[in-house]
Amino acid sequence: MRRWTWAPIVAVALLALMPEVAYACPVCFDPREENRVAFLATTVFLSLVPLGMVGGLGMWLRKRARELKGSPPEDDGGNAERA
Amino acid sequence: MSVTSATLPVSSRPQPRPRRKLVSDAVLGTVLFVVTEVMLFSGLISAHTIVKSRSAGQMWPPFGQPRLPAEETALNTVALLASGLALLFAHFAFRKEARRALVPLAVSVVLGLYFVVFQGREWAALIRQGLTLTSSAYGGFFYLIVGTHALHAVVAIACLAWAWTRLRSGRLTPAQLGAVEIFWYFVVLVWPLIYLRVYL
Repeated sequence: MRRWTWAPIVAVALLALMPEVAYACPVCFDPREENRVAFLATTVFLSLVPLGMVGGLGMWLRKRARELKGSPPEDDGGNAERA
Repeated sequence: MSVTSATLPVSSRPQPRPRRKLVSDAVLGTVLFVVTEVMLFSGLISAHTIVKSRSAGQMWPPFGQPRLPAEETALNTVALLASGLALLFAHFAFRKEARRALVPLAVSVVLGLYFVVFQGREWAALIRQGLTLTSSAYGGFFYLIVGTHALHAVVAIACLAWAWTRLRSGRLTPAQLGAVEIFWYFVVLVWPLIYLRVYL
C-alpha cells in the first residue's frame, strides 16, 4: 500500500525533472523554422475547421427554425415535387 | 363529471401540431457528408503543407520532376468557377419557374465535364514527363489530392446530369436540387484552395 502511494509522486517528480523525455512527437520539435510553423499552422487549421463547421451548421439550423416560425405550414423543407 | 380526451370522440380531440422539418433529409444528409469531405481534404492539404515545408531550402518540385502547368490550370479553374456560377443561376431560375433552370444546369454540367477532361489530359502529359504516384512525394501528393478531387467532380457531375434529366421530365424536387447543388459547390469551392497549395 505504501509503495503505491509513492508511485505517483515519483512519476510527477520524474516528469518535472526531465520534461524533454516526455516529448511525444520528436517531429514537432524540428530545428527548421518552416517545418515548426507548418506544424503549428496545420494544427490550428485542423482544430478550427471542424469547430467552425459544426458552429456554422448550428447557426444555419437556428436561422432556418426562425424563418419557419413565420412561414405557412405547407413549407415542408423542399421535399414536395415541383410541377 | 370532468371531460377528458379519452371520453371525447376522436374527431374532436386536440390534435398535436405537425412536426415541421427545418431542412429536407436530402439537404441535411448532403451537408453532413460534405462536412466529412472537408475534413478529408483539410487533412490531405495539411499533410502536403508539412511535407513541402520539410523541403525548405531544397528544390520544390524536387530535382528531375516536371513543374505543374499552373497557367493552363488557372484557365481550367475559371471554367470550374463558371460552372458553379451557372448552377447558382439554375437555382434562382428554378425558384421562379422550374423549366427555366434547364439551360443553366446543362451549362454547369458541360463546364464541369470540360474541367474533368482537361485534368485528364494534364495527367497524361505529366505521366509522359515522368511525374508518377511513386516518382516522389511531390508526385504522390499531386495525384492523391487532385485525383481525390477529380473523383468527387466525376460523381458530382453524374449527380448534376441526373438532376437535369429529372428536371426535364418535371420530377425534380427543390430538395433534390439543393442536395446536388451543395455537393457541386463543395467541389467547386475546394478547388481554388487545392490550386493555391499544390500548383503555386
